[in-house]
Amino acid sequence: MSDQAPLRLYQALVDQDPAAAISVIESVRASGVSQARLFDVLFVPSMGVLGGAWASGEIDEIAFTQAAVVADQVTSFVTPPAANADTGVVVLIGCMHKDHHAVGKNVAAAALKEAGHRVLDLGVDVRPAEFLEKVEETGARIVIVSAEMLSAARDAGRVRDMLTSSGHTDVVILVTGGPFDADPELARSAGANGVIRGAESALRLVARVAEDRAGREDA
Amino acid sequence: MSADRSQQVVLAEGLARQEQISPAVAACHAALRLDARQPHAHALLAELMLAGDFYDEAIAAATQAIELDPGCAPAYLALGLAYDRRGGMWDQSILVWHELAEVVPDLVTAHVQLGEAFSLAAFDEEAIDSWRRALELDPTEARAMYNLAVAALKREGVPTALPGFRKAGELDPSQDELFFDLAHIGPLPRKLPDSAKVADDRDSRLHAAGVLARADDYFGAADLVRAILDETPDDADALALAAYMYLKQEAGNEAMACAVRAVMVDKTSVTGMYALGVAYAKRPGLNRHAARVFAALAKAVPHHPMPHVLLAESMMGLQRYSQAKAAYGHAVELDPACVRARFGLAAVLLTENRHAEAAWEIRRAAYYDTKRQGLFWELYDEYVEGGE
Amino acid sequence: MANTRKSGRASKRTGAAKPVRADEVREAAVEFEQPAAPAAPPVPRRNAAFPLGVDYYPIDAEISSWDDWYDRDPDSDFAVFAAARMTLVRVFVSWKYLEQQVGQYDEEALQRFERLVAAARDHALQLIVTFFADDRFSELNDVPWGKRRDPRGDSYMIQREVSLVQRIVNRYRAEPAVFAWEMGNEAFLSGFTSAGELQGWAATMREAIREVDPDRPVLIGCDPETLFRASGVDARGAIDESEMALSHVTAPYQAYMAEGPMISGPATYLDSFLLRSARRDLPVLVDGAGVTSLDYSPAQEAAYIRTVLYSAIMNRGGGAMLRRFRDMDTERREPYFRDPYETLVGVADVDGVPKPSLAEVGRFARVAARLDMRRYTLAPERTGVLIPAERYDPPPSMAGLFDPRATLQAYISAKEAHLPVEVVREGDRLGELSVLVVPSAQRLLPGTWRELIAFVQGGGSLVASYGGGDADPAVRELFGVEFLGDYGRRSELTCRVAQPDVLGRLQAFDCVLDVPHFALLGGGGATVVATDTKGSPLVTLNSFGTGRAVYLAAPIERALAQGDAWASPPPVRAMLRTIYGAVARTAGAALPLTCDAPGVELALFSGEDDDILLLLNHAPEKLTAQMVTERPVATVADVRGGAAAEVAGTAFGVPLAPNGAAALRIRWS
Repeated sequence: MSDQAPLRLYQALVDQDPAAAISVIESVRASGVSQARLFDVLFVPSMGVLGGAWASGEIDEIAFTQAAVVADQVTSFVTPPAANADTGVVVLIGCMHKDHHAVGKNVAAAALKEAGHRVLDLGVDVRPAEFLEKVEETGARIVIVSAEMLSAARDAGRVRDMLTSSGHTDVVILVTGGPFDADPELARSAGANGVIRGAESALRLVARVAEDRAGREDA
Repeated sequence: MSADRSQQVVLAEGLARQEQISPAVAACHAALRLDARQPHAHALLAELMLAGDFYDEAIAAATQAIELDPGCAPAYLALGLAYDRRGGMWDQSILVWHELAEVVPDLVTAHVQLGEAFSLAAFDEEAIDSWRRALELDPTEARAMYNLAVAALKREGVPTALPGFRKAGELDPSQDELFFDLAHIGPLPRKLPDSAKVADDRDSRLHAAGVLARADDYFGAADLVRAILDETPDDADALALAAYMYLKQEAGNEAMACAVRAVMVDKTSVTGMYALGVAYAKRPGLNRHAARVFAALAKAVPHHPMPHVLLAESMMGLQRYSQAKAAYGHAVELDPACVRARFGLAAVLLTENRHAEAAWEIRRAAYYDTKRQGLFWELYDEYVEGGE
Repeated sequence: MANTRKSGRASKRTGAAKPVRADEVREAAVEFEQPAAPAAPPVPRRNAAFPLGVDYYPIDAEISSWDDWYDRDPDSDFAVFAAARMTLVRVFVSWKYLEQQVGQYDEEALQRFERLVAAARDHALQLIVTFFADDRFSELNDVPWGKRRDPRGDSYMIQREVSLVQRIVNRYRAEPAVFAWEMGNEAFLSGFTSAGELQGWAATMREAIREVDPDRPVLIGCDPETLFRASGVDARGAIDESEMALSHVTAPYQAYMAEGPMISGPATYLDSFLLRSARRDLPVLVDGAGVTSLDYSPAQEAAYIRTVLYSAIMNRGGGAMLRRFRDMDTERREPYFRDPYETLVGVADVDGVPKPSLAEVGRFARVAARLDMRRYTLAPERTGVLIPAERYDPPPSMAGLFDPRATLQAYISAKEAHLPVEVVREGDRLGELSVLVVPSAQRLLPGTWRELIAFVQGGGSLVASYGGGDADPAVRELFGVEFLGDYGRRSELTCRVAQPDVLGRLQAFDCVLDVPHFALLGGGGATVVATDTKGSPLVTLNSFGTGRAVYLAAPIERALAQGDAWASPPPVRAMLRTIYGAVARTAGAALPLTCDAPGVELALFSGEDDDILLLLNHAPEKLTAQMVTERPVATVADVRGGAAAEVAGTAFGVPLAPNGAAALRIRWS
């Protein structure tokens, strides 16, 4: 990238020429600067120049405002990717049958979506057969079963039974909810591969499962 | 209606206003020994017990006041707050806030508290309606906005809720207070400076501009900032103040341009860091940038809670919940009354499925917010005036 | 200790101690009892000196009626209790059901009671039989012929009560499945309006029981502190006649003393504080152990139960009773009915299926069984925290409201300094105490000042904080300071250290804390250890006679307790525990070991060949407690068995799960 690029972008902004601004950005991108870095190496310095020009009186208030409007028009070109890229990992998530406590499930699902996973939220009160149905429909290999009530947590093993009896032995089941936090035996008896303890834990565990799978597939 | 107050009650009032709890309680009891049917004395006693966090005593006194005069609004307030702060009494609390909302229909806090009581009872729709009603009455009611953000988090997770937290944070005066603390601008003087008559040295201009900005007189402040920059274009403090004012006027790019410039010319400018971080935080996709700037700000002013809160919010945006929790925790440690940190901590705890502790943080936020408001005395004075 | 490490060695201490493996000591993770070494004697299933039990309510569903009193066969439930290694079951007599007509005892009711006794017998359990209990579902005392007469004061009703009590006691006086008779529960007893009335009624009931059964313990089912808070009635006189006392954190008392999350902060110390304050010369059963609301997850419920059980055995508890067996099956109204009266939450769900909290009880029982109280003695408490007599003053005195909180805070600070600490009441004998803390008292009795002077003169150490108002003239003599007045309220507390290392490693600080009073002190011979920013003395130390007296110029314990107890300024808390700890160490009242984690409570049981150290993490975050001992440790092992880890030094680390506990057997080099 040329050292002059921020100045060229600045000039395009004060010239109220969005096309020129976009052209500068594209040329910098073409020079090998990644989308994630464009903001730092190009946009921020040019904004610094713009601020300096306004402060010194080189441009007046109106020109400053108009340049800011153009900057707004081209912001999407320099903004780092807002969400993580699609990981291709499909995750089914739902609350166990007869359990309507959705908050933990909702928060984990949103976090996983934000991280780029393909999350299919089955909602609350999900019967084991529905988990199976969606596994077969989507090919998901990660299922998260949420249960906040003890009775529902005790029933979570039915999901594993249902999947196993239909031959889906390679599906990873992760469980989440207060009862599983309290008693690791509940997760074991449910045939779960892991216990998710909140959103950050969901991100970590799903990423690890996805990495393991990718590793196995590469091998 | 309210009965006339005895001299003893007036004495108790004076002591209570000075927060002299023990003598004020003694005065209330003295008043009640002479005449136990004085709603004012019972209401005052309720407020004093509430001030000491003696909730059962506050409930008893407020109930007495209401029994003696069902129109005693300050007693309803004390009763509702006592129920809420005591915990586990949301059903009674809902009734009280309903009553108070009828007695004083435009009392925003009643709707906010009602919403929180509904929320604890898992009546989520009713809770949201109450907070919306509060915002209709007062669009700047930050706690209603925080609560709506928490409700959004419960349904749709952090990414959807985070802008709500930030929006609430902007309504919350504490963020502006941070800027003015960093800029060494104290509380507003009784008489604002006239921008045309300010001494023409840089420091006088900058201080006056800060005062005017704090008073929302952005035209006057901008004139003074311009005068400083005309002499010294690379004055980081003036640039940062300009950035702050642009932020307040929703001019994000202008703000960013000035803030970037301020930090370019002085890497240690804390007001510049503040403005730059906020400008970044306002844009989607720049949480990492905001976090970097707020981390530097938190390091530069470690004893101020708000940079830790701002850092925490950026960490939430990056889904780094444990780091966010640590930063929020630090902010609460520095200032237990920081409502924004309390709500943030509640949000993080919800991401960890720690619902009871999240509810506690929200209750603590309400505790400090309602203490700060000092609504009791407003209602009490109105009640007294109504009886005269 | 279940050491599965290949090396089996812990490092010598050079800097930070190397932790003993988490799976060796992490209490929550151990699912199975470790097999004892081949030569070891058989391990008892229970600790006879620390029985565990549960309240078994007569009705578990809101739709049930009073005449459904114990209509369920208790056998399967009692089997669950026995499996969880419990010993005691509290059952509640229904006067209404037993005596539906005056003087006629219902045969069906007697048979149901007999079924309870038989089930206890079959499962080697023992009953605590509570005669007069208020339970808002069972209408236990609403005898239809009572015509609203007061069961506590009406002579005819009391006469009928005596008949009922004697009828039951007489029938089971030789029954080994009955552990104790209990006159009433706290809900019933809180209906008394004076100590005299309560004492009179209790004496009548006791006499009635003793006429028939001269031996078995007779209890009064209330905690003196919580009952006083609830009703203003001081039950201590009545309790003193009993063979055993109870401590009981009720929901209202919890709301008054420690309103906040139950698995962190002051709430985790409240049970042991009440246990300590109920412990006069009687053993104390920790009653009503369990959460008071449905807000908590099963993991949090279990964590709280763990905290209560461990803190009970670590503080000389004589056993513990769980709040309830089954959750109350409530009406299906939205979202669900939450109980403000603390009766709903059990350790099993509505179907009787155990929750994780019951498994926690079993795990604790396994550990407690290894703690043979005949072989091990808890380190003596040489530090006491004083509850002033003004605590009993009626309004408008605020002391009755402030003092219990301030005392709890002082107790917590002493615990954070890892001191064996007792709670004493003004007027109690100071006995073997070497250190006394008088936290934020506004006024002490003149006799107490004389006692304190004698205590310090005789070599005792006193730490007192100014509580507001005029200072007693004894302050000048004892503390060597001149009281010049009260500065009044301040919103910040600052500290500058004038004399480093005189009272531990005090640190300077500037903190936001609402301090209601600040004594202006002039010189009087004491050493000024620390001041505020303007040089006004904050902490002074005076040598008096052969003892030492430390004075804090502000009611710091009260300020912390009245502030945000879950977010109190760490430097202020550190200052208190540093001062308490330093004074106690100098007075020889500290444990022979230190721990770097203030939130970890320690209890050291000394034996002949080895010692047992219990650790309890009061925080919901995991940590490793770094222990440093005064003499070298050879090995550390889990009390449940398994191989010992070699330490061969004076330092070792103990990993603790969130709200976790560890029980270690220490062999000294």
